[in-house]
Amino acid sequence: MCARNSIYTNPKPCKHLADYKLRHGFNTYDSIRNCLKTTPNGRTRVAKHTTKIPRCSFCDRYQGRLYFCLMCSSLWCPSHILLHTQSEKGHEVAIDMDRSELYCCLCCDQVYDPDFDKVVVCNQVKDLPGGSKSKTNSFEASGERSSKRKRLDSGIGLDLKKSELLVSMRDRRAKSCYPLGLRGLNNLGSTCFMNSVLQALLHAPPLRNYFLNDRHNSVQCRKRSGEKLCLLCDIDAISSAMFCGDRTPYTPAHFLYSWWQHSSNLASYEEQDAHEFFISVLDGIHEKESKIRNSGKDDGDCQCIAHRAFSGLLRSDVTCISCGFTSTTYDPCVDISLNMDTSNLSSSNANKPIKPDEKTSVSTLSGCLNLFTRAERLGSDQKLHCQNCQELRDSSKQLSIRRLPLVLCLHIKRVEHSLVRKISRKINQYMQFPFSLDMTPYLSSSIVRSKFGNRIFTFEYDNSNSSAAYEIFAVIAHSGMLESGHYVTYLRLKNQWYKCDDAWISEVDEGIVRASQCYMLFYVQKLLYNKANEDSSFVRISPRRDPFESTAGCS
Amino acid sequence: MKHSVNRPPTPDAAEDQGKEPTLQEIINIKLIESGEKERLMELLRERLIDCGWKDEMKALCRAHVKKKGRTNVTVDDLVHLITPKGRASVPDSVKAELLQRIRTFLMSAAL
Repeated sequence: MCARNSIYTNPKPCKHLADYKLRHGFNTYDSIRNCLKTTPNGRTRVAKHTTKIPRCSFCDRYQGRLYFCLMCSSLWCPSHILLHTQSEKGHEVAIDMDRSELYCCLCCDQVYDPDFDKVVVCNQVKDLPGGSKSKTNSFEASGERSSKRKRLDSGIGLDLKKSELLVSMRDRRAKSCYPLGLRGLNNLGSTCFMNSVLQALLHAPPLRNYFLNDRHNSVQCRKRSGEKLCLLCDIDAISSAMFCGDRTPYTPAHFLYSWWQHSSNLASYEEQDAHEFFISVLDGIHEKESKIRNSGKDDGDCQCIAHRAFSGLLRSDVTCISCGFTSTTYDPCVDISLNMDTSNLSSSNANKPIKPDEKTSVSTLSGCLNLFTRAERLGSDQKLHCQNCQELRDSSKQLSIRRLPLVLCLHIKRVEHSLVRKISRKINQYMQFPFSLDMTPYLSSSIVRSKFGNRIFTFEYDNSNSSAAYEIFAVIAHSGMLESGHYVTYLRLKNQWYKCDDAWISEVDEGIVRASQCYMLFYVQKLLYNKANEDSSFVRISPRRDPFESTAGCS
Repeated sequence: MKHSVNRPPTPDAAEDQGKEPTLQEIINIKLIESGEKERLMELLRERLIDCGWKDEMKALCRAHVKKKGRTNVTVDDLVHLITPKGRASVPDSVKAELLQRIRTFLMSAAL
């Protein structure tokens, strides 16, 4: 296995390419600078002979891969390029015409060179319409990077170790040696949707630390705002209750009341959607905070705990099919809703005679994320106005993640709407998900990079830090039907999984979790996960109780 | 021998002169000149991604590289490996769609 941590380990040039570069110095790729042509979809081709059809100089073949010799601009097919190299000394390096990738004829393999990629990328940026504009889109000003660094630091500011209120002490009252913070929540009438989300929120490292560090002081809050209702105060109360060491199930009645006040449209004893509840809670937290601070800051820079933990930035690129002009927009998000990748399993593949060894018939999280970041051609009924063409054109849209949040909430859309029958159906399809997740392939830097083909050229905002590595800490699983189902939360504390089914907490094997029907997945950045799991044997000092009360120990 | 040993053998004379372009070649030239080939290639790429063909080929390549070791595999190896399987596993619906597009194009080009 690869010993290095980073995914992109730049391959070294082969001996032949290195020699070739030495011989030609700065003029290595001058010959092709004027031969590169970029199509609207972003593919860069070598197009020297605009009149003739490119053919192999030996066998006249025009189909399949053709290579363009850097030295003499002759064209060869893969079978005959070796002949050329053997007969002409110094003609070792060629370019795959269709893909603009370097090929070493002696190694019979693809080779990579950042200088070459630079030529290709510059040409592409220049060729596509909105050249100078797209330059600022692709190559972000360094000002934005420093603000990103600031955000990461503020994330570390929620670190446990900075607190002064925590006492390192093991609670001996636990009826088992369950870690602290595990406590059941009573169901108040189809409120499993609420209980499951609360369990996940309270154990999200940034929020857990926030409340345990007493960052939201209820007394001060009431004094400041004068309002009786504050979702944060209620969550703070639940957090204290969860971590106080008492294992009897807790009843979050006051929180439910507060939340009903906030989201009156959802106030009923009916089963609600857990994701909808999650969004409304974050919204409630944000609203309160922005009232206090009187800041009209947009979600991207908001410093309320909800946004500090969950806020990320999505990038949307809309490309005109005709001319290639791309317009880019950024939108903040607190979670990502994914459609399930069931298209691989449909009957469109039924008439394939050969089945590959690998199973492609299972829905996976990476499949869903791939679907999310795939370039999607918008239908002809959704033509958009292209600034370059000055008319309505067919376009394609591609999403990617510009900035990842500290806590990544992935929502799996399991509802299928049938317009014909006007009913909604739940998709019970099993979806496989990993415990360790690398989000690098879904970042804007990766997606945008891939638009230039197979390049190792580094872009300015490549996230070389490891903040794309995530560890799962909570899974909200749903069982049953759309209207009458049940939510449970699986929590991962110190590498042990626990099932939180309303009032009942139990230890479970990771196999159970993997086999569950996931609805919402909660991942946290690996660094925070590791810190959170280092030392969580503490007790919050509650003014009401004596922390040194002796109790029966656990075996 | 007068010729240098390294020089490739001269192709058959009959092939070179007075060579009539085949129908296939004529069609190909027309497709390229009009830019239709580029559009068809783009459509094909899209369809092959949609139906999961690209992912399957990727998986095959990965499995092969895992078996042989990262430094012992070249692009040529992979191409030779997946070409037969790839050609055989293109879904009929994709073939049909492209054929239909080409037919439509030819009819409009012939006029």
